[in-house]
Amino acid sequence: MPPPTGPNLSARHASDATLALTMATSSAAASPASAGHPAGHEALVRDLQAALGPASVLHLFEDIIAFEYDATIERALPEVVVFPGTTADVSAAVRIAEQYLRPVVPRGSGSGLSGGAVPLTGGVLVVLTKMNRILEIDVANRVAVVQPGVINLQLQEALAPKGLLFAPDPSSQRVCSIGGNVANNSGGPHTLAHGSTVNHVLGLEVVLPGGRVARLGGRLADTPGIDLRGLFVGSEGTLGVVTEVTVRLVRTAPAVRTLVAVFDSVEAASEAVSAIIRRGIIPVALEMLDREIIRLVEPRIHAGYPLDAGAVLLVEVEGLAEGVDADGASVEEACRGAGAREIRVARTAGERDRLWEARRVGIGAIGAAAPAFYLLDGVVPRSKLPEVMHGVMETSARYGFRVANIFHAGDGNLHPNLMFDPDDEGATARVLACAEEIMRLCVDAGGAVTGEHGIGLEKRSYLEWIYSPADLAAMNAVRVAFGGAERFNPCKMLPGGHGCASGHGAEALNAMRRGSDSV
Amino acid sequence: MTPTATDLEHVRHALSSDLERSPQHYVLGGVTPAIAFAPTDPSEIAALVHAADEVGLAVAPLGARTATAVGRPLSRYDVALDLRALDRVIEYVPEDLVVTVQAGVTLTTLQTTLREHGQYLPTDPPPGDEVTVGGLLASARSGAWRGHLPAARDLILGMAVALPSGEVVHSGGRVVKNVTGFDMHRMHTGALGALGVIVEATFKLTPLPAVTRTLLLPAGDIDACGALARRVWDAGLVVRAITVLGARAAAEAMLPPAAAVLVEVAGSEASAERTLREIRALAPAAGDAPAEAWGRLRRLAAGPGATVLRIGVPPAEVETTVAALERSGLAAWAHLAAGSVMARGDVAASEIEALRALAAERGGFLQVEIASATLRQAVDPTGATERTLVEALKQQFDPRGTLNPGRWGAGL
Repeated sequence: MPPPTGPNLSARHASDATLALTMATSSAAASPASAGHPAGHEALVRDLQAALGPASVLHLFEDIIAFEYDATIERALPEVVVFPGTTADVSAAVRIAEQYLRPVVPRGSGSGLSGGAVPLTGGVLVVLTKMNRILEIDVANRVAVVQPGVINLQLQEALAPKGLLFAPDPSSQRVCSIGGNVANNSGGPHTLAHGSTVNHVLGLEVVLPGGRVARLGGRLADTPGIDLRGLFVGSEGTLGVVTEVTVRLVRTAPAVRTLVAVFDSVEAASEAVSAIIRRGIIPVALEMLDREIIRLVEPRIHAGYPLDAGAVLLVEVEGLAEGVDADGASVEEACRGAGAREIRVARTAGERDRLWEARRVGIGAIGAAAPAFYLLDGVVPRSKLPEVMHGVMETSARYGFRVANIFHAGDGNLHPNLMFDPDDEGATARVLACAEEIMRLCVDAGGAVTGEHGIGLEKRSYLEWIYSPADLAAMNAVRVAFGGAERFNPCKMLPGGHGCASGHGAEALNAMRRGSDSV
Repeated sequence: MTPTATDLEHVRHALSSDLERSPQHYVLGGVTPAIAFAPTDPSEIAALVHAADEVGLAVAPLGARTATAVGRPLSRYDVALDLRALDRVIEYVPEDLVVTVQAGVTLTTLQTTLREHGQYLPTDPPPGDEVTVGGLLASARSGAWRGHLPAARDLILGMAVALPSGEVVHSGGRVVKNVTGFDMHRMHTGALGALGVIVEATFKLTPLPAVTRTLLLPAGDIDACGALARRVWDAGLVVRAITVLGARAAAEAMLPPAAAVLVEVAGSEASAERTLREIRALAPAAGDAPAEAWGRLRRLAAGPGATVLRIGVPPAEVETTVAALERSGLAAWAHLAAGSVMARGDVAASEIEALRALAAERGGFLQVEIASATLRQAVDPTGATERTLVEALKQQFDPRGTLNPGRWGAGL
């Protein structure tokens, strides 16, 4: 049996889990754990075992309990967990689930941050971790074909010696799977220059209703026909199960320069972001770390981040050596113009790694420093960063929360982390209210409620802030065309739905996390 | 089937009479529509499409009409919907590198607006910048920059679409990174208007390169050209296009009539200078070529008067594909990084099927980009295989077959 994956469980997590489980159970009316198994359970298990082999099917409570959550702490028990080894296995599982009127919920590493892999109405959880082979790396044509369970970093490590990379690099890349990247249209620090996952997926093999296997897109860009590939990427497992992914590869840049610019305030650093872009430079990464994060991280990694800084920008430009020199100098000028008091350029690969280490360990450091924190994901137009960041700091202060910001400033993709103690009277409710105000700030500034973590369960009700009923009806029509909302990952992405718990308070509460180290 | 006077009155009733135009100006494939309109507002478009839908009249959305020979011929054509009056740039925030425009805005207008701020929408579709934004998206065609720069389908951040239901629906937004809801804008990009009328779009922009230079690299025969092109591609230089030209294609683009590689260098001064140096080292015979050559290739890719094929093959196989096409009498050229081989000339339906089979063997495809209506009836222009989902989407978004009926084949 593959090891269960999920957030790091701290000692206090267990008692929280009980609370969360109670909530999830009360919200999901037909939870198999509490109400006993739905009719046909034994036959369903028997048919799945016959099709996939007994070793690939888990159905006992003690075996499936590990699969009731992802990196959020929303919880719901699946009825059965299967581990397909082939596309044919996935197809069989989908067919059998359909026969017993059970939903299918695809799952990769379980590192998702919006509750997307939580089987809210039970059913068959299809865990793709066994389909983890890199099928082909075509260096000459810059294409790779992988199974959905391949870990993002595993692919990067296979590509690096060939001078190639898969551009999407979520901060969870050590654990997240390519299938999960496809489902969530994942981003990462390098999205700024390279775009999100959808810009790097050429083709998909997917399993649709009835177990039908379809190929969307191909091995080349702009395959003829309606772009079903583009529609499928980012659909969070609600349209079908991805069983193979063909991706476009990017050549590693010949030269790179990484620098850190130190500012007295988040607002000044935000101004610098716009100043850099105004110069016609798109760095390959442009990340911001605020004072709170620096104070948490620097004592752990000793990268030389000044503890009295208001905020720092971590900027990376790449290309030909000559261009990198010129762009790097221009970035420095832009930062100084916006009030940077110090600029530090990484001279060696080791220095560069240490600067990036702050980005990598940031979320873990927050987890270690506070009993609990709530990681938000919102996007604003980058020119609105100074005012929105001011609003984020003001709002968190007004609610009395420490907030740590570590985010993709170049994309306007915010990640405020609200730190709190759930044992404080009313703290959880106040965190929710504070988070909602911050999300409102993003929407009011012309932004969006998620840049890369997805809607999942967490943000379904926020969609109504952005889209009209007609917009949402059109999105639902896509789902109907792919077989309807009850088949694949019910209750995700779109608000409401038959048998789905509603009420955003419960969703957001369950989305709180305790020390997960992935962003 | 001629629409009845009652049906036409129903449609007229939906819009102000000053928006009606003479149908004579909208003849497509020899067919004159019964009625024509040029609305100025997305809600008018939705009202018109809805009214036509109610009485079963077929609507063809039209922009600059540069892509009407793409896809199957229309099976019905009653209402011409001229989108060119939807010509406003709605919001442009240079600092955000984001622009929102209406569908009737031409690429010329858009690029002129953006250039003032040192930015552009990095796409070079055929036949040229006279295409409208709506046409650019609905046909999703690209040019030599594809593979080096993102295409329209990668640059689209949000969209508004008028549906036969009478509603204008939105997806995406105006921020550069967004996973809020289904990306319906990707579904409409390249759908040839079959699922809705694109009325507004938001794009991610790119800074204009400080320097651009066009170089022609003669390298001997087509095989040598292919190998050289790949060496340039692999060198990690700042180039925006690497195109392998067959001798016929070179001649039609008014370049010396021999196989060659046409390269566009685009980047900062320092990077461009280094790139020029490296290219000269790789190809000592490299010389400057007129930048207009790119514009000529864009026109050649658009017909008219000839059949144009787009054959997708892995980049490693572009030169053998170009060679085979030129041997069979076509002018052929290939945009290396996208593996996109363009071929132009006279070609029979049976030859197209044979070429399609060859491309498929190499993991690629063949799309008939531009052809006569007869040829587009004889051969499936796209060869797209996934029909079940497309039919299901059509059923959801345009169940009565009001929008561009037939362009994806019978019943679509």
